[in-house]
Amino acid sequence: MAFISSGYNPAKPMEGRITDIGPREFTEFLPPVIKANKGKWAYHEILEPGVLVHVGESGDKVFTVRVGAARLMSVTHIREICEIADKHCDGYLRFTTRNNVEFMTDSEDKVAALKADLAARKFDGGSSKFPVGGTGAGVSNIVHTQGWVHCHTPATDASGPVKAVMDTVFSDFQNHRLPAPVRISLACCLNMCGAVHCSDIGIVGIHRKPPMIDHEWTDQLCEIPLAVASCPTAAVRPSKVELEGKKINTIAIKNERCMYCGNCYTMCPALPISDGEGDGVVIMVGGKVSNRISQPKFSKVVVAYIPNETPRWPTLTEKIKHIIDIYADHAMKYERLGDWIERIGWEKFFELTGLEFTQHLIDDFRDHAYYTWRQTTQFKF
Amino acid sequence: MAEITYEGKTFEVDEDGFLLKFEEWCPEWVDYVKESEGISEISEDHQKILDFLQDYYRKNGIAPMVRILSKNTGFKLKQVYELFPSGPGKGACKMAGLPKPTGCV
Repeated sequence: MAFISSGYNPAKPMEGRITDIGPREFTEFLPPVIKANKGKWAYHEILEPGVLVHVGESGDKVFTVRVGAARLMSVTHIREICEIADKHCDGYLRFTTRNNVEFMTDSEDKVAALKADLAARKFDGGSSKFPVGGTGAGVSNIVHTQGWVHCHTPATDASGPVKAVMDTVFSDFQNHRLPAPVRISLACCLNMCGAVHCSDIGIVGIHRKPPMIDHEWTDQLCEIPLAVASCPTAAVRPSKVELEGKKINTIAIKNERCMYCGNCYTMCPALPISDGEGDGVVIMVGGKVSNRISQPKFSKVVVAYIPNETPRWPTLTEKIKHIIDIYADHAMKYERLGDWIERIGWEKFFELTGLEFTQHLIDDFRDHAYYTWRQTTQFKF
Repeated sequence: MAEITYEGKTFEVDEDGFLLKFEEWCPEWVDYVKESEGISEISEDHQKILDFLQDYYRKNGIAPMVRILSKNTGFKLKQVYELFPSGPGKGACKMAGLPKPTGCV
């Protein structure tokens, strides 16, 4: 491909440079009915899964159709979203904080045409391009990360498992059978980009082996004190080794102190940790961010390891589906997954779901671990 | 890894143009990099920052935090950017021969 200049002059990089202009003001893209009623909404209703109506104090209505999206999408797909918005919504649309797409119209008859159009659109492989849903007490989109598509520290993939899990729980995306919304998130390493630490169900990629040490390059590529300070268990220390008759500065790792978090690889490229057989995922449950009834909660680890089973992660998807089904059968209305577990007790949760309780689930990180043990005789057999 | 030859010297660099080995740094390196970093002439102020980065790295084994760089050289972050348009990490550290910044950057 021939080079096509945008007008930027590499010889004078600062000439004509525009900076610090920030994002476009959101009001530039508001549909007229939203602009007119901004700050004056009276109430809203969920008409059916995926379709909302908001009614303004003036009596104006806006109908919202929420559709699932893969988050990672091509420009072709975005153009198709724009085409739909042009056809039904005067060119307006929005993305939600869970990366769903919302099409908004101001009359009910347009909704039927929009829904029929969305339902007819499928990829060549057969997947819905724009499945309607994601509202109310169901399972909405999965907040997820980069995985093997773009990141260098993952222990699992993101897009792949998310597709596998959403396929398994798809019926819950399109209806409201659950006691409360179930938020599922995925992070491909313990950096936990996104929302796994505060989701009803969190999927996190983990390693199970300590990093390898590329002694030849450690002192060249890394700022060794940073690697030492990056270790939460102080397993990393500076040391010297002899390589080809030369004493060089490098790093030593106490394997029995290492819990394979991979932080040191983030800071130092000479400490790769990823491993095909060792890596896998953990499942965490019971987190939430809302203040509704109970305070926000962290999610807790309930499955210590599931291997990466590309491309469909069958063990992972089967376990998640099972947890959701048991929760749906037992929890009371409005009870989030974490609220339900705290009411029935963790031993009951493990009994109902049949998940195995292993020593890995017992907190052993610093003083605070003590507060997660049981200092009472209140316990169910 | 790529090798660069400039004025009779060779440098091993990575794909972002950072020196692989701090010992390979020499004044010619600064001369070679400055163009790709949008710098036409190395002034005394540039040199002051480069010298401080190198001293700090030799002494401590890490690059200084931005606040320490500012405090010791007397240049506010805005001035650092005026001197090194790509900033203290990608610009100044690269020219000084320090390892590539890591972490969630």
